[in-house]
Amino acid sequence: MEPQPPADGSLLPPYRILDLAGGPGVFCAKLLADYGADVIKVEPPSGDYGRSKGPFLGDEPHPEKSAYFLYYNTNKKSVTLNLETELGRAIFKRLAATADAVVESFPVGYLKGLGLDYESLSEANPGLVMASVTAFGQDGPWNEYKSSDLIAMAASGYMQITGDPDGPPMRQGNEQSHFPGAQYAAVAILAALYHRDAAGGTGQYIDVSQQESLITYYSDAHPAVLWMQLEQNVTRVGTNSTLVIPLGAYPCRDGWISAGVITPREWEGLSQWIYEVTGNEEVLNEQYKGGNQERAPHIDIISAMFMDFTMRFTADYLFHEGQKRNLVFIPVNNVADLPEDPQLEASNLWTEIEHPQAGVLKYPLGVFNSDEIAPSAVPAPLLGQHNEAIFCEELGYRKEDLAFLRSAGVI
Amino acid sequence: MTNKALAGIRVVELGPYVALPLTGRILGSMGAEIIKVETNKVLDEMAFIPAWSKGAGQPDFQSAKKRITLDVRTPEGRDIFMELIKTADVFMTNFRRNILERWGIDFPQIREVRPDIINMWQTGLGGHGPYYTYKSYGILVQHMSGVSMMSGSPDAPPVATNSSYSDYHTGVFQPVAIIGALMRRRLTGKPITLESSIFSSGTITAGPSILDYQANGNHPQRLDNRDRSAVPHGVYPCQGEDRFCAIAVYSDQEWNDFCQAMGDPPWCQMPEYATAIDRSRNQDSLDENISVWTSQFTADVVMSKLQQNGVPASVVSQGEDLYDSPHLKARGFYRPTPYYVAERGTAAFQWEEGTSLSWNMPFRMSGTPVDSGHYSNIGEDNSYVFEELLGMEPEKVKALADQEVIF
Repeated sequence: MEPQPPADGSLLPPYRILDLAGGPGVFCAKLLADYGADVIKVEPPSGDYGRSKGPFLGDEPHPEKSAYFLYYNTNKKSVTLNLETELGRAIFKRLAATADAVVESFPVGYLKGLGLDYESLSEANPGLVMASVTAFGQDGPWNEYKSSDLIAMAASGYMQITGDPDGPPMRQGNEQSHFPGAQYAAVAILAALYHRDAAGGTGQYIDVSQQESLITYYSDAHPAVLWMQLEQNVTRVGTNSTLVIPLGAYPCRDGWISAGVITPREWEGLSQWIYEVTGNEEVLNEQYKGGNQERAPHIDIISAMFMDFTMRFTADYLFHEGQKRNLVFIPVNNVADLPEDPQLEASNLWTEIEHPQAGVLKYPLGVFNSDEIAPSAVPAPLLGQHNEAIFCEELGYRKEDLAFLRSAGVI
Repeated sequence: MTNKALAGIRVVELGPYVALPLTGRILGSMGAEIIKVETNKVLDEMAFIPAWSKGAGQPDFQSAKKRITLDVRTPEGRDIFMELIKTADVFMTNFRRNILERWGIDFPQIREVRPDIINMWQTGLGGHGPYYTYKSYGILVQHMSGVSMMSGSPDAPPVATNSSYSDYHTGVFQPVAIIGALMRRRLTGKPITLESSIFSSGTITAGPSILDYQANGNHPQRLDNRDRSAVPHGVYPCQGEDRFCAIAVYSDQEWNDFCQAMGDPPWCQMPEYATAIDRSRNQDSLDENISVWTSQFTADVVMSKLQQNGVPASVVSQGEDLYDSPHLKARGFYRPTPYYVAERGTAAFQWEEGTSLSWNMPFRMSGTPVDSGHYSNIGEDNSYVFEELLGMEPEKVKALADQEVIF
């Protein structure tokens, strides 16, 4: 059966996706929901873990005011369902029979123990696509190891290259591990649905490893290749890079400026500019000319000459004057700078959403900019907001049944 | 059904660096035919990063593609490019509009020769707005999007990661846009032009903090490796140089398991660590005690002692750990691959072959194969594309090669 076409202004067909995912996968269904999928978040009756996670709007813990929950659950519906009860599982199976996809991130084997794994769910719905996003994937000796954002950043080695060279490895403060596995899962789910619909295939099961996904997200540091070829390990570099010279965030007269010089032509332009300003002839030395491999052995002296130059100017001057010279100079921002940034505004990154408890805020949803489509603007759901719509109107339970299910701890 | 999920889709990829090539590699690994258009005259600088083994990292980004040489800046090259576009479902590029215009291959011209094509335009800072002509690199977007300012120690400068940050977010967002656009075209008949930006993609990763700032005026704080809801939480020194094990204890159960894994040292019973709140208030001394314990062992030993007791922990992996990892080996994550040692000023077919290592896709699909395909050298697929696909005479292809159009 063909899916419904995307709604006007939406990218994706309204595929029904059941979202059981936590941290490693929470962004997956959100991205698909923002772009038109019909996503139902299936929460335990006590609420998703994200509802108790800060920061909170108004700085007071409240299950409907977690900035974390509000952000990661835009454009989703919410039903509550206790999968550890027999009735909860039966209802979930009926729901899964109406779904195009399920995404989950439980410990390996948990859903199988409940009879809700892909084999069980696809019996009644052979077109179902199911994706698991777990810390280490479904098999291999570490598959049952416990994880978290920090553990994922460590296991992948992403932390090994983040931080000051004289200090310990650092995680990034934005829970970076939420993105890679979830993004790959979104790609794989769409590819599987495309195949099912366009080529007359069936559904299938997708196994995403968060560790492997994160390793691919710093591929240009090539940790395993460096070890294989030179028996060296990648290291931390503070705010600069050892891969491209000069590149990173550097101190300037009024704070920080970031810059990156990659091509031979960019170096030509930068070295001339540094020479104009500082009169330092060393910067014109023939041995630094060319591409990055020519400069790599001279990182210390080049960085020092570059900083002597950046320290003379404000960030704003370097940004605009640098770009005028076709050089990549970029401001170092705090989150406060972002909602006002004219480029993000012009890229239609922001979607204004009104939430009944959290009020009106600008959400960064518009990862794709287009005249034809835009993200949907539905706020994150209240806990169990769609119980009646889904359980009664769709699955045919009576309103009285909901009261029973509630007191039985099922919803 | 053994078909790959995206079999039958043809994508023309034009552009260097990380994000765009990664998008092509992902689509190619699921069966889309990716035709990568390059020229020996202007090499992708990624061929020289890392500097120590030129081109060794390119299989990560360029596997599973058909790679051709064609100088689209020449009139003949431009015309052949447009013939190729006529056969394509998707055109994707990260060149700026003024450059595409100069070459005569801007999106309206593309759409004219292939009206139902999907255009994916990747920009640095976005294609509109006051700085739309400005350039950017993904590695810098961690600074632009506020991420580095929220990373590191509270009383020290921000820290950054030594890689191309949001190039990867963009690279994995774009397949979502492209497959979505193919679905949309199939169901509605309407093609679409989509733009992505490395800056927007990176900003999305700061979502909750951006809401927190708008609602509360809070600036995200640098918390070291600490966490609001777990303690102990951090990396602890182990035997060896620059070796650490990460540990994250969320619940009382995990705390008890953690103490047991350490052999119940007396300090675990001290009143200052009795409850999670106590542990949170006394994190400095707690971290010191834990470090004394972890320093006796290798990171591997600490990790397995803790994980076997149900405590989240991991070695902070270095290249050697990943290379030798029994877990990644069991999952078949890395594979050997050939590569070509880049040399400026010589055509790619003259480059020496080397041996490198690359990853396979970090996801598996049970019904449609995902693989890394063949790693072609630049220009390796010229005869397939120009002769078989576009039906050009071999003599004509050779003549254009001599004129450095197909070069």
